Amino acid sequence: MSAPVAIYEPFRAGLPPLGAYLRALWSRRSFIAEFSRSELREQNYGSVFGQLWLILNPLLLSGVYFLLIYIIGGHNDSTRYGHLTASLFLFYLVSNSLSGGVKSITAGQRLILNTAFPRIMLPISALVIALFKFVPTLAVFLVMRSLLGLPFSWQMFWAIPVIAIALLMGLGMAILISCINVYFRDIASFLPYLTRSLLYLSPILYQAADLSPKLKSIEIANPIFYLLDAWSQVMVYAKAPDLFSLAHGFIWAICIFLIGTYFFLSRERDFAVRL
Amino acid sequence: MISLSASNSLNSTHAKHGLAVSVQNVGLTYTTSIDKRPTLKARLKSIGRGKKHTRVVQALNEVNLDVHYGTVLGVIGSNGAGKSSLMRVISGIVPPSKGRIEVHGSVSTLLALGVGFNPSMTGRANVYLGGLAAGMSRAEIDSQFAAIVDFSELGDAIDAPMRTYSSGMYARLAFSVAATVQPDILIVDEALSTGDAHFKEKSLNRIKELRSADRALILVSHAMATIEDVCNEVAWLHKGKIMARGNPAEVIKQYQEFTKAGKSAAANEDV
Repeated sequence: MSAPVAIYEPFRAGLPPLGAYLRALWSRRSFIAEFSRSELREQNYGSVFGQLWLILNPLLLSGVYFLLIYIIGGHNDSTRYGHLTASLFLFYLVSNSLSGGVKSITAGQRLILNTAFPRIMLPISALVIALFKFVPTLAVFLVMRSLLGLPFSWQMFWAIPVIAIALLMGLGMAILISCINVYFRDIASFLPYLTRSLLYLSPILYQAADLSPKLKSIEIANPIFYLLDAWSQVMVYAKAPDLFSLAHGFIWAICIFLIGTYFFLSRERDFAVRL
Repeated sequence: MISLSASNSLNSTHAKHGLAVSVQNVGLTYTTSIDKRPTLKARLKSIGRGKKHTRVVQALNEVNLDVHYGTVLGVIGSNGAGKSSLMRVISGIVPPSKGRIEVHGSVSTLLALGVGFNPSMTGRANVYLGGLAAGMSRAEIDSQFAAIVDFSELGDAIDAPMRTYSSGMYARLAFSVAATVQPDILIVDEALSTGDAHFKEKSLNRIKELRSADRALILVSHAMATIEDVCNEVAWLHKGKIMARGNPAEVIKQYQEFTKAGKSAAANEDV
């Protein structure tokens, strides 16, 4: 009978041995799948109406926001509606990872206090759940854009790197905010204001091109501004995105991911005694 | 009484009576927040007032402990002696701040809180999630699941959300999971005292069944009678240090004399 040997030694401010950590994480990938599935089932997405809601909810939201921009700005063309819907769906991928990630560690208290496992699995699961919610909306949008008569082209494959960057961004944000929430539990209550501000500061209800050059240069501080612009170029106009936009989104995403992961991994040993 | 094995080699099989857990010079110091629910608001409000928000806890100090296969080790001590911290360090939940721990074998833990990760999910989902997080495969859990439910006597309640469970049902399921998975090393922390008399006896019998030459058990309990009945070795922890280790009856006697004599340690055991 073979027995694995585990050795536990101190690590303080630094990172745990990354090789071993990643192996432990990989061997528990089925946890992430099972957790996401149970969580979605628990949020009633296991039923037919629940799944229908997954599609209806973003559609209703985009309808409401369209009404808003129609009343305020008088825009009622199909391109504008397509832009609003596409951008809103990608925005929800990022904001759902944030709102799912924020309590992932504090809600996993019992498991953390009872079992040794790579804690980063919990915020990763939050991203997977956000992705599961995003996929049906993407399908809805593809149907909708054919109905709206928007152009199709091979350039639309640029959607793949854009989604990849958005996923990296969502993951980094989920990891970072889940860790911050262990130390400051009221972050979860601030979060709705944060995501709401992000929604209005990003080119969703308006288009990036509508902004003055001065405002656009300030938007460099907004991690998802240029990414959403690139997404709109690809999904609505079927054009190749601006490389600057992609690079901007990627640099923000990788920075948030690296900082969040470093912060998380170096603090992880603390979680069991802080919860 | 305390042996420190320097000669052990990191072979990947364990012999009968071989080394299961080796705790070497382990110290554990951690910083924790004073507030139950630390908030940014509270932190901002107290800027400049010199209020402390964290405290440093010295939970374990120079602990040396070897547990061999075939041993049933009871760990006793007053509240706050570091028993639970020691169990968490051995199971890898909290890394030590000093020293080294070697664990030769698979570990199943039943620490104070037990199973139950998300109360709004069913007992079934929680068992699977707990098992997967502990590193078991889905097939392994599948093969043990029926036995777990059977032992817990929960019946159909296994498919009800865990928030509908009573604390006794919680304890039953937690114990069933930990005791059914047939680990090399089983760590049970104060979990035998919950549940009704029938289940208490059942779980105690189960512990006795699990005693074998190729398994190591570590039990933390305040119930001295149980410890004396089940264990073949006892370690007594006080303020993060091991005070004595050895024959159950002797160590328990020493401990009880100490608690009666010591002013600080109130008699808080349900002996």
